[in-house]
Amino acid sequence: MLKITALNKRYGNGELVLRGLDLAIDEPGLTAIIGSSGAGKSTLLRCINRLIEPTSGTIVVNGVAITALRGKPLRHARRSIGMIFQGFNLVDRLSVMENVLAGRLGYVNATQALTRRFPQRDIDHAFALLERVGLQDYINKRADTLSGGQRQRVGVVRALMQEPKILLADEPTASLDPKTSQQIMALIRELSDELQLPVLVNIHNVHQARTFADRVLGMRFGVMIFDGKGEDLDDETLDRVYEGTAGRGENEEPGDASWLAGAKAP
Amino acid sequence: MTAAPRPRKWRKPSAIANPVLRYGLFVTVFAYLYWAVATLPINWDRILQGFPRAVRIFSNAWPPNFTRSGLMISGFTESIQMAIIATVLGVAISIPVAIMAARNIAPPPVYAVGRAIIIVARSFHPIIVAIIFVKAVGFGALAGIFTLMLYSLGFVGKLLAEAVEEIDPGQVEAMKAAGAGFFKTLIFAVFPQILPRQVGLSIYQLDSNLRASAVVGVVGAGGIGGTLMNAFRRFDYDFAFAILLVLIAIILISEGISGRLRRGLS
Amino acid sequence: MSRETGATAAATTTPVGYRWQRYTPLQRFGRYAAYLIAATGVYWALRTLDVHWPWVWSAPNEIADMFNRMSPPDLRRGDAILRAMLETIHIATLATALSLLFSLPTAYISAQNTTPNAATLWLGRFILVATRSVNTIIWALLFVAIFGPGVMAGILAIAFRSIGFTGKLMAEAIEEIDRKPVEAITAAGGDKTKIVIFGIIPQVLPTFLAVTILRWDINIRESTVLGLVGAGGIGLILQGAIDTFQWRTASTILIAILIVVILGEVVSSALRKRVL
Repeated sequence: MLKITALNKRYGNGELVLRGLDLAIDEPGLTAIIGSSGAGKSTLLRCINRLIEPTSGTIVVNGVAITALRGKPLRHARRSIGMIFQGFNLVDRLSVMENVLAGRLGYVNATQALTRRFPQRDIDHAFALLERVGLQDYINKRADTLSGGQRQRVGVVRALMQEPKILLADEPTASLDPKTSQQIMALIRELSDELQLPVLVNIHNVHQARTFADRVLGMRFGVMIFDGKGEDLDDETLDRVYEGTAGRGENEEPGDASWLAGAKAP
Repeated sequence: MTAAPRPRKWRKPSAIANPVLRYGLFVTVFAYLYWAVATLPINWDRILQGFPRAVRIFSNAWPPNFTRSGLMISGFTESIQMAIIATVLGVAISIPVAIMAARNIAPPPVYAVGRAIIIVARSFHPIIVAIIFVKAVGFGALAGIFTLMLYSLGFVGKLLAEAVEEIDPGQVEAMKAAGAGFFKTLIFAVFPQILPRQVGLSIYQLDSNLRASAVVGVVGAGGIGGTLMNAFRRFDYDFAFAILLVLIAIILISEGISGRLRRGLS
Repeated sequence: MSRETGATAAATTTPVGYRWQRYTPLQRFGRYAAYLIAATGVYWALRTLDVHWPWVWSAPNEIADMFNRMSPPDLRRGDAILRAMLETIHIATLATALSLLFSLPTAYISAQNTTPNAATLWLGRFILVATRSVNTIIWALLFVAIFGPGVMAGILAIAFRSIGFTGKLMAEAIEEIDRKPVEAITAAGGDKTKIVIFGIIPQVLPTFLAVTILRWDINIRESTVLGLVGAGGIGLILQGAIDTFQWRTASTILIAILIVVILGEVVSSALRKRVL
């Protein structure tokens, strides 16, 4: 489903942000990437659908070497990669339904997009998904009238409208309050199970990673230094992942100060 | 995941909900267009002849003729002078009129007069005003200066009045409480708040007046406009083209300078 | 005791030798320099301008005299004036509509985030600058020379001038859009057309409507003078009245123009409030 080989990314003439990174995802399930900001999590995700151009390396998604494509084949390949964004990335002035249908923009032609006459099966699919996430009463409401959690649910539906074969989520809950954040992660987890979809999520909250992920990847300065199950993620590993950085993100469960015990003195 | 889709229709809700209003609007627009085009006196033969004429004119206009530079320089110099004087004097008279036209400062009868002055100053195109001044005070730059003063009054006066209406009333209140009279209140509470806006407006108006001064000459109010008009009348299209090129260049330079100045101020 | 305290109090509460300056020396220098430059400019302008000073002093009298001659307004040619005003409005409306056809594509290629390449960016910017810098009247002169006197020249002149105005504001609006929806549409596999339809148009629509309405309002004003160079509208009748010294007819025309312009402003600000 996803195979990354020797991925390097350098911005301009600076340092390598991704250094010879290898990653393979062969089965459905939720994989969480943790790491401090600057570790390259966002860059990694955006290289997979080539929103960011890799400097070198190969990425094979759903059997297609996406790094070798341009133009129309690239756009077609992107259709099967769904993405959920930290900032929701909705079109504020359009309605929930239009935002959700935007997930089909890789499949319809310009006239259909202009007149908003999408195929009936897309409309049916949209209604079904919106009911699934509980937004069936908001279909014609403007996206900017929704709360943060509702907006991210629209984002999730939009990604699923693509009928993707893999889902990428770039810190989907970073802009949400703790309770909503839990709900959204739970929703993504449920959908991953229901649709048997491999999901790759950037998370800054280690606790959520442990709770929701089948597999956790620890990233530090462009390489994976941990790849295993959530329960195998001990404090020593966490220290290494976040070494020399400010901390491990907000929304830590109160009372879980075990990381403090293992932290090195400044 | 969910049951078989029920065929539910969705169309993007129209901006105008009432179908009668919506179709009525369409019909009105088309009817108007038809009526306007039908009643306008258009001589289609003459227009078709226009294309070969255009070719002839453009071939005459190239290359641009800069040889009569003396005439050009004196024309442009006069335009620049007119713009400078008109801006200074125009902004000067705008200030009292703006105060008069500010609802929060001026008593109602004064406000009415102030607003009326600004409306009249803005409603008439500078060319019309120029014609009248030319008839009143004779051909030449004087008519142009009066015209541009009125033009400045209309623009700067209106925006300055709006700025005065938006000041913080607290400062005026404080001055009144300290026992300051009308003019002192003006100087200490009103002017400091509108000064940045006023300087910005003055610079913008200088730029505007430069543009307008090139045009009032067309009706004899001085400046390069007269030179341009004569060039057209005498079919000296290459000279006219040269004038236009220099005009565009001067406007660009002045716009660049004024933009930089205004940015530096804010 | 009290005197001692009083003296101490005075010594600590009355500062000595403070000076208050409103501006630092550098700021003062800057202000004086600015005044000096401005004053020099004005002085030069006044000195070298070829102005007949006797005419300047007699100006107020002349203007007052003109006002006398213009009142009361003469209503006899009312229907001709009405027809001409209608023609003026038609010219403004049709020209504004026509200009949209050209200003939107030009705006698209003039915005740094949507232009295909550097050449189109340059071309777009050039079109916008040229059409903005050349005044409507000058365009009218050109089109009268090409297409002859009449409303066509007027419509084209106003349309061309409007391209630069509307195009520049729309290009700025396009450059200022939120890029995030564009990112999302790209990630979903949308091409440039889809990005425009779903990502750009919804974001710039309010600006577009506001700018178009504003330009229509300005164009009504501009159309009133087209007749002076033979490009149709009320200007022709006005010029005729002034040339034949029929001041009272002229003032009727001026009042008609005033009414139409004010109506245009009322309509356009009402429309703009509905849009935003």
